[in-house]
Amino acid sequence: MDTLKRRHFTTTINQQQFSKSGYEQVPLDPIDFDENGKLYKPLRLPENKILAFWQQYNDILIPAFFTVLSFWTRFYLISYSSFVVWDEAHFGKFGSHYLKREFYFDVHPPLGKMLVGLAGLLAGYNGSFEFGSGEAYPADVNYAFMRIFFATFGAWMVPLAYFTAIELDFSQHAVILATLMVLLDTAYLCISRFILLDSMLLFFTFTTLFFLTKFHNQRNDPFSIDWWLWLILTGMSIGCVTSVKWVGLFVTALVGLYTIEDLWDKFGDLSMPKTVYLKHWIARIVCLIILPIQIYMLCFAIHFAILNKSGPGDAQMSSLFQAGLRGNNFYGNPIDLAYGSKFTLKNMGYGGGLLHSHVQTYPSGSKQQQVTCYHHRDSNNEWFIKKMREENEENEEENNSTDVEFVKHNDIVRLVHSSTCRNLHSHHVNAPVTKSQYEVSCYGNEQLGDQNDYWIIEVVDDLLENTPRIRVMTTRLRFRHKTLGCYLRAANAVLPQWGFKQVEVTCDKNNNPSDSHTYWNLEHHWNDKLPAGGSAHYRTLFLHDFWHLNVAMYTSNNALIPDPDKEDILASNPWQWPLLQVGIRICGWDDKAVKYYLLGNPIIWWSGTASLVTFVFLFVWHLIRRQRQFHDFSQAQWTHFLYVGKICLIGWLLHFMPFFIMGRVTYLHHYFPALYFSILMCAFVLDQLTSSCNQITKHIVFGISYLAVILVFWYFKDIAFGFDYPSSELKGRQWLSSWNLVD
Amino acid sequence: MTDHKVRQRHGIQVMEPPDSVQNAPILDEKKTIGHTKKYTKKRIVSNSALAILTLLSFITRFWKIDHPHQVVYYLKRTYYFDVHPPLAKLMLAGIGWFLGYDGHFEFDNIGDDYITNDVPYIGLRSLPAALGALLVPLTYMIMIESGYPVITAILAAGLVLFDNALICQTRLILLDSMLVFFMLCTFYCYIRFYKYRLREFSNEWWFWMIASGVALGLTLSVKLVGLFTVLTIGIAVIVDLWNLLDIKRGLTMDHFKKHFYARAIGLIIVPIFVYLFWFYLHFAILNTSGPGDSFMSPAFQETLQGNVMSLESLEIRFNDTITLKHKSTSVFLHSHPQRYPLRYNDGRISSQGQQVTGYKFEDANNYWLIKPAKIFMDPSRPEDDFVKHGDYILLEHINTETHLLTHDVASPLMPTNQEFTTMPKDDDSRYNETVFQVLIDDGDSDTKWKTKSSYIRLIHFDTKVALWTHDKLLPEWAFKQQEINGNKNNVEKSNIWIADQIVGKNEPPKRHLPFFAKFFELQRLMLSHNSGLTKPHPYSSTPVNWPFLVRGISFWTNNNDREQIYLLGNPFTWWISVGAMAVLVGVLSADLISRRRAIHPISEPVRNRLLNSGLFFFMAWFIHYAPFYLMGRSLFLHHYLPALICSYMVAAVVFNFMFVDSVNYPISVTGPRKAPRIVAKAVVRDITVITCTILLAISACVFYYFSPLTYGTPGIEPEGIRSRMWLDSWDLHFQPKRHDA
Repeated sequence: MDTLKRRHFTTTINQQQFSKSGYEQVPLDPIDFDENGKLYKPLRLPENKILAFWQQYNDILIPAFFTVLSFWTRFYLISYSSFVVWDEAHFGKFGSHYLKREFYFDVHPPLGKMLVGLAGLLAGYNGSFEFGSGEAYPADVNYAFMRIFFATFGAWMVPLAYFTAIELDFSQHAVILATLMVLLDTAYLCISRFILLDSMLLFFTFTTLFFLTKFHNQRNDPFSIDWWLWLILTGMSIGCVTSVKWVGLFVTALVGLYTIEDLWDKFGDLSMPKTVYLKHWIARIVCLIILPIQIYMLCFAIHFAILNKSGPGDAQMSSLFQAGLRGNNFYGNPIDLAYGSKFTLKNMGYGGGLLHSHVQTYPSGSKQQQVTCYHHRDSNNEWFIKKMREENEENEEENNSTDVEFVKHNDIVRLVHSSTCRNLHSHHVNAPVTKSQYEVSCYGNEQLGDQNDYWIIEVVDDLLENTPRIRVMTTRLRFRHKTLGCYLRAANAVLPQWGFKQVEVTCDKNNNPSDSHTYWNLEHHWNDKLPAGGSAHYRTLFLHDFWHLNVAMYTSNNALIPDPDKEDILASNPWQWPLLQVGIRICGWDDKAVKYYLLGNPIIWWSGTASLVTFVFLFVWHLIRRQRQFHDFSQAQWTHFLYVGKICLIGWLLHFMPFFIMGRVTYLHHYFPALYFSILMCAFVLDQLTSSCNQITKHIVFGISYLAVILVFWYFKDIAFGFDYPSSELKGRQWLSSWNLVD
Repeated sequence: MTDHKVRQRHGIQVMEPPDSVQNAPILDEKKTIGHTKKYTKKRIVSNSALAILTLLSFITRFWKIDHPHQVVYYLKRTYYFDVHPPLAKLMLAGIGWFLGYDGHFEFDNIGDDYITNDVPYIGLRSLPAALGALLVPLTYMIMIESGYPVITAILAAGLVLFDNALICQTRLILLDSMLVFFMLCTFYCYIRFYKYRLREFSNEWWFWMIASGVALGLTLSVKLVGLFTVLTIGIAVIVDLWNLLDIKRGLTMDHFKKHFYARAIGLIIVPIFVYLFWFYLHFAILNTSGPGDSFMSPAFQETLQGNVMSLESLEIRFNDTITLKHKSTSVFLHSHPQRYPLRYNDGRISSQGQQVTGYKFEDANNYWLIKPAKIFMDPSRPEDDFVKHGDYILLEHINTETHLLTHDVASPLMPTNQEFTTMPKDDDSRYNETVFQVLIDDGDSDTKWKTKSSYIRLIHFDTKVALWTHDKLLPEWAFKQQEINGNKNNVEKSNIWIADQIVGKNEPPKRHLPFFAKFFELQRLMLSHNSGLTKPHPYSSTPVNWPFLVRGISFWTNNNDREQIYLLGNPFTWWISVGAMAVLVGVLSADLISRRRAIHPISEPVRNRLLNSGLFFFMAWFIHYAPFYLMGRSLFLHHYLPALICSYMVAAVVFNFMFVDSVNYPISVTGPRKAPRIVAKAVVRDITVITCTILLAISACVFYYFSPLTYGTPGIEPEGIRSRMWLDSWDLHFQPKRHDA
């Protein structure tokens, strides 16, 4: 604590302020200009010409040099592995769906996958390839082009990092360090070289931060053209990043926090007229809230417009939406429900599936046959509607006739599962997951059964017109259990592995008439005695479909929980990431195969994490010194120190901490956006630590850092470029025993 | 409300001296002495209020404490007591020991009767109840020490007094009353300490700081939730230190360091030592008493031991020789060459087989060899595999080379139970009758049978009876040893046996673990056990429901008289405390926003009190509440009780802000340097008293209305249940049947 002794405030710092970027190194004295204001050609010796050129143009040459390197590293040997690597299997397939225009469902928003489709289109790919994991690409799929398309996004990360560091006012040394780290991180490099969404996600995260720093630097000139430009670009970038993956919401949160602080500062500025303050608010609301939402929705609008045929994702959407897809013959369904009809029943809650049963039984509770909600079409979704057994016997003869009796409101019915002939049943047994409600099972058969097999049909309303009958797709129904009085409900609670992760169906004791999870509608409907349906026109609202799909995505995302019964070798825990304790084998590990190992450049990851800790100590240290009235910084420097620190530290926290709270399964590549903030922090902290050193020391310190990054990259480069020799030859590179680079 | 605020501001303008320090009235000790008469009168009012509140509190907590005379709780005892540090268990054990209770009872099932099992449950319950009753005066004293007028303190204490959930939870043999009690002690001591800040390093200053540290340690030693209290005090200390560090305070760095180290000792080192001390005591008691020793053996001891035992236990393999000890009577399974007499005194006839008895002492005749029952064995398992739950075994008596057997012959003393005997080991003719299945309590097919720590039942393969013994002794012909027989009720608790040792293997088995090794092992076990409590429970709830009292917990029911105990707070007081916290946040945010625009709506002393005292209570509430959102384990309403008390204090602070003009200021003990200070005085008006009375009257009525659920008596008719179901989500028992249209 001796250093806390009072010291006179020094003013030498101001000089350092002027050596930040290369600009100031060219002396621009008035004598360098002629009368017309033109610059004299500097008088140099011929051998210094190159140096002069360098000094004049280094603010372009340096980034250009890095950009070229970046493109070279990203494109080098890109078609080396001619197999479907890792999640190319998913995203390639989604791209194919766009080319085939078949509706599919996925947990990620559509922008990134639409670009996969676009890449495929440009590559002349017709969408017929299945993208099976580990399969070889057929000759007619130009996978190299598709990979180049995505590698381009990855390559632009490097110049973006360069200019962001410039905007953050780093010294030239630090700018180069940050750029070099983004360029030479093996994880960034590796993930950018395949048909994956991550390069796009990272690209848009980088642009968002870049535009934000640009905008920040316009803060003294509000409402100017540049100010508006960068604000709007920030908003657009937010829209894009969230349309690729929801992880983009974290960088959005960073922009949000920045904006709130900015507005709070302005709120305290008593000299600012209130109308101007209001204008600040409106500008931000329009550019940072409305604009991104518009872009996000536009992506979905295009998504719906492209995917106009029936496909594997139909069942996630409402019946009416499905009716609008080509290839679904819903128009042929008989319209009105009658006794003896066969049908499928769709839950109308957001993300609701089809009522389903299968021969597997509940492992606890009644141990009877399971009833679930399922999002895929199969014959186990089909049910018959029948009368109560008592009535059935009386009317047995009538049943054989061709007379049709339609089902009405308040009828007491029995629902019979088509393939197992068991009755939909509920009883005084708690549901397996939602313990407060009753279990729903399938029980008995045509003869065997009891009063608990009976349900009362309650018609809520009809979306098209009022009719006493129950119409397919448009009538909203509820099923009340006759003896228990509870309502059939499916509300996105997921069953464990024994229920195949399908949605739990329960009988809700509380009658909540506005709960859409208790609403059901008929989807498919078969009845030979009835005429095929007419040409009723079914329409859906875009907003409704948009919201429906997003809720379904959210639900499925939450359902991606780690499976305790199954060990996922690829998954990892968030606390393993900052110290790079894991890597991922992203393809088969045969000795002869081309192999890639997703692993960061250890020196970059470790120094990034160390710098975050160092910054916290630096910050507390300076805070304590300020409390004792030692001012090591001028006010402007202190504000800048806080600004960069906040951007990097809070940005890192926002991109990292949420993964601890999330229940879903997490992978190493979820850390990549956070890594960027730690890289910037590393350069910044090194800058701070060397700020009082002389130029030579700085050269040495940064020179060593560059060298370390480059050498470690060179040592590890094969895992990112791919290698076809046995992994055992890389034994020396297995620095941590927790890596599974070598068996 | 706006009306009051205007008046309040007005009141301050009248009351408050001009801001400039020179003109401010100066605190004068002599002047204070001049007011002695008024001062004493005030003290009498305050003390009698305290006395009345305390009396009421004891009455509400102790009323019908003997009802019901059954186990009331809903979680298995082992879970409940294993996951927490030992202090509360030691306290209960101490009471039990004091009452001469030998700890034979298991507390296993809700509804097990205390009277028939001869448990001094009233004595055991009175400890938590007494501490629970003391919460009321403690709350009162905290408010008084924080500088609030008597009426505000009465309100805070009254809210605690009439809270059904606090009464319900603290009347039972549970840990929460101790936790909350020590938590409030910590707050009280820390506030007293803080008030001595102007007399730094004085004796009182040291005393109250060390006292806060001790109380903090005690809180932590009851439940790990005490860590939230540590965090609360920690933040308060950091803020305090930060202000001391400010150069404007004029402290030298050395002086500051003295402050820093003093707090490090008082509030970090002292609590750690207190915490360690209880563990030390815990281990010391465990070491001086073996199983069955009756020195300190309330039921808890066994679970306390469970953890340490598991360190010393060994896994049993086939072809090990073991001794088997009966859990509740502590005899070993024993056999000797003597045979049962052909004819008993009552005329019944025996098989005349070799005697199998229960023997209290170590003896080579207690040795049994475990052999796999080959025909039931998975052939792929190795010869010396571990014995697991569900395995079929034969027990060979080593000395006589015979197999243990039971058959459908009445036992010597109980015609209803089967006789145990043995067969020569090379005689396969009655093989099936020599096969037993090992069932481990709470085991599944992967659970290994371990010495000392596994509770097992031996079920006969052929007849499904369980190996059993009781404290009846056989006559002379069996040397007055205990009778062993086969119990047809094979799920009874008294069928439990424990493998005491593996002969030859664990001859001196006792590893002497150093204190810290045991300590850290137990910490690890507690944490993993705690986070392992993820099994969904019908009455578990999520934190978001707690402040709004969305759901309670059913503790106990009695179908005959329609009686039930249902943990439910006083809805009125819960809801006004949530409302009060919203008001506090609103007021502070409004203040923050207006100050940003250079408007200062609240006078400095009032604002100071709101920030220092109100915000402290609010922070205490937040820290005792918010972390539950991050926990993965199953959570229950009673986890909210520590936070609830804090929210009542916030409610009183908000009441004070709304209905009392100004505040008593300053309240800290004056220091040696008598710097002139601004003085303000709280003014209690009629409206204040009336509001407080109305609030407390409503609280009392609502409390009374719901009290049958709290005390478990009298029973309520279905209509009464329905009218008490203010929220549909309160799943009370004995609801009227639904009549749906």
